[in-house]
Amino acid sequence: MVAPLAGKRVLDLGAFCAQRPHGLAAAMAARLCAAYGAEVVRPLPAGGEPLATQPPLLPGGGSALDRFLNAGKRRGPTSGRFDMAIGDSGALEAQADAVPIRARISVFGPGDDPPMSELGLLALSGLLGIVGEAGGPPARLAGHQVAYAAGLAACTGLLAALRAGGEEVVDVSLFDVTAWLNWKVAAGVLVLGAAPTRGNARNNWHTMPASDGHVALVFQDKDWPALRNMLGDERLQAPRFATAAGRAEHRPEFLSVITPWFTARSRAEITAAAQARRIPIGPVLAPVELLRDPQNQARGFLAPDGTPGLPLSWNGARIQPEAADAA
Amino acid sequence: MPPDAALPLAGIRVVDLGWLTAGAASSTLLLDLGAEVVKVEGPGALDPFRNWDGADPDTDWWNRSPAYGFTNRGKQSVCLDLKHPRGREVLLRLLAGADVLIENYRRGVLAQWGLGVEDLRRRFPRLIIASVSSQGEDGPDRDMVSFGSTLEATGGLAALTGAGEAPVITGRDVNYPDQVVCLFAAGAVLAALLERDRTGEGAHLDLSQRELTSFLLGEELIAAAAGTPSPRHGNADPADPAERVVPDGAGGWRAEWSGGSAPVRDGMALAAAEDFASGTAVLRSPDGRPAKGIPFRLSRRPLSVREACHGLGADNRAVLRATGLAEEEIAGLEEAGLLATGPRKPRRD
Repeated sequence: MVAPLAGKRVLDLGAFCAQRPHGLAAAMAARLCAAYGAEVVRPLPAGGEPLATQPPLLPGGGSALDRFLNAGKRRGPTSGRFDMAIGDSGALEAQADAVPIRARISVFGPGDDPPMSELGLLALSGLLGIVGEAGGPPARLAGHQVAYAAGLAACTGLLAALRAGGEEVVDVSLFDVTAWLNWKVAAGVLVLGAAPTRGNARNNWHTMPASDGHVALVFQDKDWPALRNMLGDERLQAPRFATAAGRAEHRPEFLSVITPWFTARSRAEITAAAQARRIPIGPVLAPVELLRDPQNQARGFLAPDGTPGLPLSWNGARIQPEAADAA
Repeated sequence: MPPDAALPLAGIRVVDLGWLTAGAASSTLLLDLGAEVVKVEGPGALDPFRNWDGADPDTDWWNRSPAYGFTNRGKQSVCLDLKHPRGREVLLRLLAGADVLIENYRRGVLAQWGLGVEDLRRRFPRLIIASVSSQGEDGPDRDMVSFGSTLEATGGLAALTGAGEAPVITGRDVNYPDQVVCLFAAGAVLAALLERDRTGEGAHLDLSQRELTSFLLGEELIAAAAGTPSPRHGNADPADPAERVVPDGAGGWRAEWSGGSAPVRDGMALAAAEDFASGTAVLRSPDGRPAKGIPFRLSRRPLSVREACHGLGADNRAVLRATGLAEEEIAGLEEAGLLATGPRKPRRD
């Protein structure tokens, strides 16, 4: 059985983190360790599991967030030997001083941990300002992308430290990870002298209404002739629509020409027509649709209760489901 | 410069067939952890990042693309025609001495060249092959053409994102799934190296970016399966009613939450911020150029950008020599145009 962390014990101090983003990041990092075969122990404070009251809440009681993040972990005390621990600086100092490898989550880096939210981190990293419709407000990425990305980084750092051996502190800054994800904006300023902005002319990808929802209109310049042919409207032959800059300049007119084609068709019809021309358009799918999505079903990605497996197939098989469950 | 022996991946050799961000930046993270990375491109199949904004088309643009250099700094570069059987023979020699292969080609391309995963696993049982793809190696959507933002739509992120009427995708300036997969893929390779330490066996890692996008919304999938609706919350957070994004009165926006607020920075504000300059998101190459940073710090083994970007094919001879190829064989490959230091068509598309 594939279990890279077999025999390793991991202390998840997410429930003791002073701030919510840190707690979510720690819980995600520990969840990944559990999926890789570690025995993960998640001790709880006197008030109980902080995730148990966090949305989304389940109709039968309990929290989907709790169930997702604590899958494969077990509750227990901090006693005994641990190979790795994950938490914020306070929780690690208080409860994991003797653990040789520690992942320490912070806002800006070791010792620089002001009060912060995931929304604030998106704002400061530029990842809030770059996302959203042209002319509209900034749009936050759904869910807990900031904390979870930091959790992915923490897990990767822990695995590296484990392989190196000995003692190590892996410092994960929520801000650095978020700004790292948003490198095109930062690098735009530093290497080209200008940053891309929300809704800029070059960024002409957006969603389009279909008869039964939306699709993502994603295409490169090289796809334009194929897209134009697919839409089949003579007006799109006009030279002003021949380039991305021209389509951006005449955006309201462009949208008025193409929108009826989309609204007259279902997401599946649009996707099939686009994919036949190798245009990377796809349907906007809601979580409930993903549950019965043929691709997810064929790959055995989701458990019957919707819990996703680790998004990784290892020699053609999923890593075995976790035995324990702290949720 | 030899890799730092103290770093976690010292002595690990990676062959990088990764393009753009998803493949190439995963390899970069392994490089930063101490691995030796050889990036292999073909004279007729360069990493598309080489033909990107900011490189003057009248120059050797393939060596001057800021996005390429930013992402691939420090890797050895080999320019080898993998579409030719002699090129593929050389790749196999390289793989014989490698620990990890990372690729994000279109599904089926490697198999078409006789380099399918099963063949490679048979030949090199200790090799870890990380295949980063849009949909994964199988399933009815295996060959669906997608960019990162397409996967935001098909993976569930777009449906839940957006402050207005329409679902929102991040677009070409972010392509979120391409960024976040690197954090996960590098970890999966490390896990496979630990598993190999334990069992002696290599592995094939099939990483679907669409699955990762959905995984990062795992609680929403569980809620949906239990019959809980999945509304789009816009910029609000059901766990904190005070969270919102409001105009700042000066043409910009401000994020507010219980107990705090922060400006919604644009790129210029980000680049000018002290917290950004003192962080690790963007670092500097030894030549002073901005370089992709490292998303964590190790307190006992300081990580850094150790080398600047190599020119296309700059390491052809040294890398091939190390595989045991004789000088005349290398010269023969050069004469045949199978080993090069520039694209076969030097004009830009």
